Amino acid sequence: MLSAADKAWAIFARDARIAIAYPANFWGGWLSIVGQIVTFYFIAKLIGPSKAYGIAGHPATYFDYVAVNLAFVRFQNVSIHSFQQAMRGAQMVGTLEALLATPTSLSLLILSSGLWAFTLTILQIVFFLAIALGLGLQLNHVNPITAVAFLVLTILAMSPIGVLSAASIMTFKQEAPTAMLFGGLGALLGGVLFPVDRLPHWLQVVSWMLPITHSLNGIRGAVAGASVFELGPDALWLATLTVVLGPISLYAFSRAVRRAKEDGTLADY
Amino acid sequence: MSERIGPAVQLRGVTKSFPRAYAVTEWVRAFGRRRERRVVLDRIDLTIPRGCVFGLLGQNGAGKTTLLKLMSTLLLPDRGEIFVDGVDAAADSMEVKRRIGLCTSDERAFYYRLSARANLAFFAILAGLPRRRVKKRVMEVAEVVDIANSLDYEVRTFSTGMRQRLAVARAILADPDVLFFDEPTRAVDPVHTEAIRSLIRDRLARELKKTVVLSTNVLAEAWSTCDTVVILSNGRIVAEGTPLELRNRFVGRRRYAVSLDRPDEKLVERLRAVAGVGAIENMVGEPGLIVDIEQRDRNLTSLLGVLGGNGVTIRGFRPLDEESFDVFRAATAGERSA
Repeated sequence: MLSAADKAWAIFARDARIAIAYPANFWGGWLSIVGQIVTFYFIAKLIGPSKAYGIAGHPATYFDYVAVNLAFVRFQNVSIHSFQQAMRGAQMVGTLEALLATPTSLSLLILSSGLWAFTLTILQIVFFLAIALGLGLQLNHVNPITAVAFLVLTILAMSPIGVLSAASIMTFKQEAPTAMLFGGLGALLGGVLFPVDRLPHWLQVVSWMLPITHSLNGIRGAVAGASVFELGPDALWLATLTVVLGPISLYAFSRAVRRAKEDGTLADY
Repeated sequence: MSERIGPAVQLRGVTKSFPRAYAVTEWVRAFGRRRERRVVLDRIDLTIPRGCVFGLLGQNGAGKTTLLKLMSTLLLPDRGEIFVDGVDAAADSMEVKRRIGLCTSDERAFYYRLSARANLAFFAILAGLPRRRVKKRVMEVAEVVDIANSLDYEVRTFSTGMRQRLAVARAILADPDVLFFDEPTRAVDPVHTEAIRSLIRDRLARELKKTVVLSTNVLAEAWSTCDTVVILSNGRIVAEGTPLELRNRFVGRRRYAVSLDRPDEKLVERLRAVAGVGAIENMVGEPGLIVDIEQRDRNLTSLLGVLGGNGVTIRGFRPLDEESFDVFRAATAGERSA
């Protein structure tokens, strides 16, 4: 167990060192956060407060609504993309075979490869919210327990999509359409830029099935002070996705690696 | 080290094939059918004893690297069984990986933006080394391959040969009992090449009783480093034995160049009378002879006796082709013409 923790830490430290070794890319990511939040600050000035942006009928500003969504949609993006980028990177850099020749389990290798990305995302969300607070975001009623619960549920529910995508990279050497689908649909139908009740009914059904919709509902609920129990349906759906997709994704990844070993395409890209 | 029994590595009837690449039009025609596969290893039976250096020789594409990857669980065989240190590679690949060290010939297999020290420390932990031992062990292996002074430089600044030595260091990090080296001296300078060969032969195999499986294209390396050599050709084993056994089996005749201070017709006459001597030609560009002789110890003794007792000064005596090359050429002749 200690060895597994050491290995996870080693993978985290490796990714952190490599990220910092590319300073332009690293600091550029932080700068883009400033650009994004300031852009939406000015857009929000054109839109008045509305009950549609609040929780439980309380009016809120568009800036309150969109800032929280934009901050936390990063979790969807990192969950979907970090694992596949780790696999793709290892294939292209040439380290994949060296990694797989070590006595490290596949699940540990793939799941640990997202640790740095998640940590960086949390730091960037804090930075994002700090700027947003300076621009007028209201965070007076936050329920921290609910917020943490939905952060964890979001990571757990969305990571399997990323692991499935990593399996696709291993098999087809290309990004999985599921990742693009979830990423694209999430932005459109997940309620990131506008409330989902503005969508046609049939699209609301599609929206309801997406994990990002429930993640953002939960996070906005936490910001408004709601408890986990009040947001039960959202939490339950995310937990269900975790339980169903988690084992499926890890199984798919191990099958993909097995097939690559059969076909001799482990290091191909 | 606890005493283990049985061979270090055993392969039984191992066959490996890879799917053939299709052109776009072929994809359409082959739709719904199983992809054709190209057999790269065909029913390989191999027993590698403990504590020896076991060489895999073969031309490009003979299947050497595929064999090493199968033994290190990076590939799965179509058929057959592989046991490493008594462990079934198919049933418990994780346990096999705990017992092996792999040195690949791919120089990209490191994180170029990290230092050599960070790379080795990372792979040491993944190999299962306790964190408290990593720092010391990294320094030890770096000294073995003579990169200790460069440990804090990024790997991207390393030459190809230095990266190859770094790969050797990585393979021995966890001190495994079975080591697989895939062309470990590729692109390495002559001094460090000899140091790596000495590390494999004298330290790892003789002193520490490790089993080393060495894939190489360099015949002299196989001849000077390996206890046993297997020659692969077209995915099959065409010869196996010690270098001496292979020489006796495959080298029927050899040609020697004899440099003299002056031409001497009488010497030629006397050489023709030596048992086993065939064609004798004059060397081009300098006085001397090229003597073809049946490869037997007593024939060579007679030849040297005649050369030494004839009153001419011998300036040089050397085989025209390397013995290992003669063996390799003879062993693979049938396969190449097939």
